[in-house]
This record gives sequence, structure tokens and C-alpha cells, in this order.
Amino acid sequence: MASVDLIDVRKAYGDHEVIHGVSMHIADGEFVALVGPSGCGKSTLLRMIAGLEPITAGEVHIDSRIVNDLEPKDRDIAMVFQNYALYPHKNVANNMGFALQLRGLPKAEVEGRVRRAAEILGLVPYLARYPRQLSGGQRQRVAMGRAIVRDPKVFLFDEPLSNLDAKLRVQMRGEIKELHQRLKTTTIYVTHDQVEAMTMADRIVVLHDGVVEQIGSPLELYDNPANLFVAGFIGSPAMNMVHGTIRGDGFVAEDGTPLPLGRAPAGSDGRQVIYGFRPEHLSLGGPVSTQITVIEPTGSETQVIAKLAGQKIVGVFRERISARPGETLSVGPNLASVHLFDAQSGHRLT
Amino acid sequence: MTVMAHTQARSRHVTPVRLGRIVGKVAIYALLIFWAFVSLFPIYWTFSTSFKKAANVMKGHLIPWIDYVPDWLGWRSLGLSPDTLFNTSTVRDEFLNRFENSVIASLSASTLAVVIGACAAYGLSRFEYKFGPMKNKDISFFFLSQLILPPVVLAMPFLVLYKELAFLDTRIGLILLYTLMVLPIVIWIMRDQFDTIPIELEQAAMVDGCSVWGAFLRIVLPIALPGMVAAFILSVILCWNEYFFAALLTSTHAKTLPVMVASQTGSQGISWWSMAALSAAAILPLIVIGITLERYIVKGLTAGSVK
Repeated sequence: MASVDLIDVRKAYGDHEVIHGVSMHIADGEFVALVGPSGCGKSTLLRMIAGLEPITAGEVHIDSRIVNDLEPKDRDIAMVFQNYALYPHKNVANNMGFALQLRGLPKAEVEGRVRRAAEILGLVPYLARYPRQLSGGQRQRVAMGRAIVRDPKVFLFDEPLSNLDAKLRVQMRGEIKELHQRLKTTTIYVTHDQVEAMTMADRIVVLHDGVVEQIGSPLELYDNPANLFVAGFIGSPAMNMVHGTIRGDGFVAEDGTPLPLGRAPAGSDGRQVIYGFRPEHLSLGGPVSTQITVIEPTGSETQVIAKLAGQKIVGVFRERISARPGETLSVGPNLASVHLFDAQSGHRLT
Repeated sequence: MTVMAHTQARSRHVTPVRLGRIVGKVAIYALLIFWAFVSLFPIYWTFSTSFKKAANVMKGHLIPWIDYVPDWLGWRSLGLSPDTLFNTSTVRDEFLNRFENSVIASLSASTLAVVIGACAAYGLSRFEYKFGPMKNKDISFFFLSQLILPPVVLAMPFLVLYKELAFLDTRIGLILLYTLMVLPIVIWIMRDQFDTIPIELEQAAMVDGCSVWGAFLRIVLPIALPGMVAAFILSVILCWNEYFFAALLTSTHAKTLPVMVASQTGSQGISWWSMAALSAAAILPLIVIGITLERYIVKGLTAGSVK
């Protein structure tokens, strides 16, 4: 186990820089998710930590040692690939034991360690099978088994669940988290799925266009997004955002509809802002009237898509709502949970 | 009762579909049998002719013991019939010498070509090269374009070169030339093969503790085996059949079988039976190699590795 530090890490292909100076500290035993839309550079960053991609500038430390110029094999990391990358000509036992065989460990020890990992992952009945004889979920487990038999300093996961169906994904999500709690190995997990990141990680790093937008615990990001991008990316359904202006201590949407605001930030009168609130932070019977477009009852909650100040918003209510599309619904955002972002920079104001 | 009626109704309904399927299958098999016949007939004809007498050949007899009585005539002329096998025979010595030359030249050149070609193809498939304005695709095409050149263009240069290097009429000369000759095809086949292997497999191997060479030798090569075997078989066949340079660059020591087969058309006409025996002996090694190595050409070896 080890800590991982990135210091102003940059990556450029020719003149085109794709990672613009990323710095972060990942503590020993921590589970960190790198999340962001596709093309944001999260996989590239992971591959730079793994040593599969040269680092253009900056430093990567694993266990307080600079690894920039070390081969992947000398970094003591294990990686689970998006497409599993199992060796097709080796059976499950040999796939998992390959790294140990390369290290020249005695055969009995390799077998013992493979067996223990297989027991953890429920792969014992499949040890003699070849990858082509396994289901997607089993292949995924073998890929993880290959990582855990080695007892590496750091686990790197590159979107490991994106090829599984929804049900299996949820199951494997739980298994990976459980595995981490058991092994306590430092883990860096790349995903584009914010739900995966939210549910699994101790801390989340949100990347966008090769820049770190925010680093924090899942709930920190959810409750206090640093900017519009994080606000829009984290949370499902996404945060509602209404464009408008601050007038005195209140907010007025572009079409003139006033929306309630506890207190405007000092000196922000007349400022162009974006008024954000999460779907579940709406309550029924407030001062704002909306026009219902779609109602989606799921039993435990009711999701309402409606028009507010000419813009589409989503509300999630605990209550069952009997209103029909086209009718008016009075709602009010929970004042403590309203976020204001500067319209120009996208930065958070309150 | 209702169940029976239902089953009957269903079987009535299914029959035309099933019939169509059977007809389709019969048609496919008929076509395959026909094509197998077309492909195998020349081989049968060569082998059977080596057991015929002049009259049988001329009359076009085809089926042994019905059309004609098999005879060792062809094989006797090579000194390879049961009655001549233990006598001294200059023809047989000549044949065996050439057979050995052919085997050594073909196998050595093919092995060399597959080893060099696999390395070149791996490089072209995995690394980025720039040679002046040429990039990987252009370099690959450059290799393949060597096949466009008719060998006869190279006749004089090679004759001069080999004379200077004292490679004329040597096996090593033939091996090097044949390696050069089949290398473009080997590179092309192997590059295609390597392209189908996901790069993540090597990256996984490197994370697991392999060097670049380790990943190539332990992971990539075993998976690329079908392509290598196919390339090897093709190379052996091409080298085995090569006539032009063998006739040009060898005279006594390094002569190969094709030259001997072709020289059977003497001034007294063609002795079909001995030519057939010679051809049959020349085909045999290829058949053996083909049958032994065919099982390594398994498709879908990478199945299950990635998804």
C-alpha cells in the first residue's frame, strides 16, 4: 500500500496539450474516483500513473518515490482494463498467476495465492477454464483477480464496469467496494459514470478538458459544487439551472419571474447569475408556479418535468401528485440549498 | 386430443421450412463436393499417372485395377520402386540431393522469413515510424510493392551480386534470396494478425511484469500463432515451387526439385510416368506440412480476451 502524488502533471501530443497541470494527493488506502465526460483526460491520467503513457511534464510519486521514468513493471501497480485484457491462451489460474510466475515465485505459492484470490472472488470452479468460456461478469472478476493476487501498492481501474449490463454493474460495484474495504489498497478508479464515483469513492476528482474542476468527498461535491460544470455533472437527475439577474436581495429570471433567494452575496446587485437547485430540493406549495410537462410516478417518489420561467426543470417529490400535464404546480426551492453561479466564469458565488 | 391436433398442425406448418433447409444443405454439400473434386483431381491424377504405363497415359485411363493395372514404371525410373530401391541409382541420388536442397532451402528461408517478418510486422503494427515522408502505412506498402517487380528484372543484378559474393550454386545463396522473396507476404500477413490483437493485452502484460520483448514473446506470439503458421505454410509453398532463380543461380550443388521436374521434357518427348512420380514426390512434403500444421490455424483464438 502506498500514497500517490501528482505534481503539476501535464500531457501533450505534439503541441496539443490534453492534461493541463494536474496536482493531487491520494492518501494511503484511499479510494479515489477520477470522473468526467469522455475525452476529459481521466484515462490518460490513469495510464500515466501506470506508466503506459509517457509524462510530458510534472512528477508522479508512488509511495514518495518519483516513478516518471520507471517501466510499468517496476511501479508495483495492478491495473484492471476496461475490456479486461485477459490472456486468451491462458486459463483463469494462469491469467491470475502470470505476474507471480514472472516474479519467479515457487509454484506452490503461486497456486496458493491464486486460490485465495479465486475464493474471494468466487472463481474457484472456473480456474481451469479459458476466458472465452466465461461470461462477462466472470471475465471481469478474473481481471480483478489478476490484480489482487499481486498485492500491489496501488490498484488502477479503468472503467472496469462499463461493459457489464446494468444489474451486474450494480452488483460488481458493491463487490469492488467490499474488496477495497477488505484489502485497504490505495485505489484509483476511472469512470464516466458519476453514480459509480459517488457510491464507491472516498474522494472524487472531477476532470474536464484536462483540468481538475474539483476534488472532494462525494457529498461535498454534491452539496457544494465549486462551479457550474461540477454542479451539472454530479447528481442525477442533474441540477436545475435558471439564467437570470440578482436584483437587490432577490433573483429575477430572464423572463422576469422572481425566484426566492435567502440573501444575495454582498455587492452582487445587478450581476448576471445562474440560479441552481437540485430536483429533490423543491417542495410543493411554494411561491413559484410551474407548468407540468410530464409526470413520472415511480412509487417511492414522483418525478415531474415542468416549465419554470420559460426553462425546463425537473423536480423529485416524495409526495404522490395527482396533477396532470398542462396543469400548474406551485413549488418552492429550499432556500438553504440554492446555489448561485457567476454566469460568465461559472464559479460558485455562495 | 387438442395437444395432438396442435402438434399435427405445427408439423404441417413446419414441413416446407424444413424441406427448404434440407434442399439448401444438399445444394451446399453438392457444391462443396464438386469443388473438392476439382481441387483434388490434379493430385489424384499425378499420383495415379506415376503408376501408369505409356499406353494407359495416352488412353486416359483413370481408375486403377479397372481401367489399367498399376505398374512401378515411373518410380523405377527414379530408382524408388521396390525392385530398384536397394540397387545403386544415379537418378535416385540426384533426386534425393535435390529433394534435400529443396527441403533445406524452403524450410530455412521460411523460418527466417517468419522470424524477421514477425518482428517487422510487430513494429509496424505497434510503433510509429517515420522514414522521410513515409509513415507506417507507406512502409508497409513499400514492402508489399516489392512483389510487383517481376523477378526477371532482378536476374542480372543477382547473377552479378552472387558471383561477387561467391553465393552462386550454394544453398545459403538460395535461402537468402527466398527469404527476401517471401518476406513481403509474411510481413503483410503478420501485420494483419498483430493488428487484431488488442494492445491492452500487452499493456496488461507490462503491468504484470513483462518488458516489451517479454510481452511480445509470452503474450503476442502465442496468440499470433495461427497467422504465423499460415505465413509459414505459404512461404514453404512459394519457396518449394520457386523455379526461376533456382534455374538461374544454381548449377550442380544447390539445384532444387522444380528444376529437375521441368527438365523431364527432353528431346524424346515427355516421359509422363517419371514426371508424375517426380511430381508426386515433390507434392508429398507440402501435403505433410499442410496437414501437420493445419490444426494450428484456429480462428478466434483471441475470443474472450476482451469485450
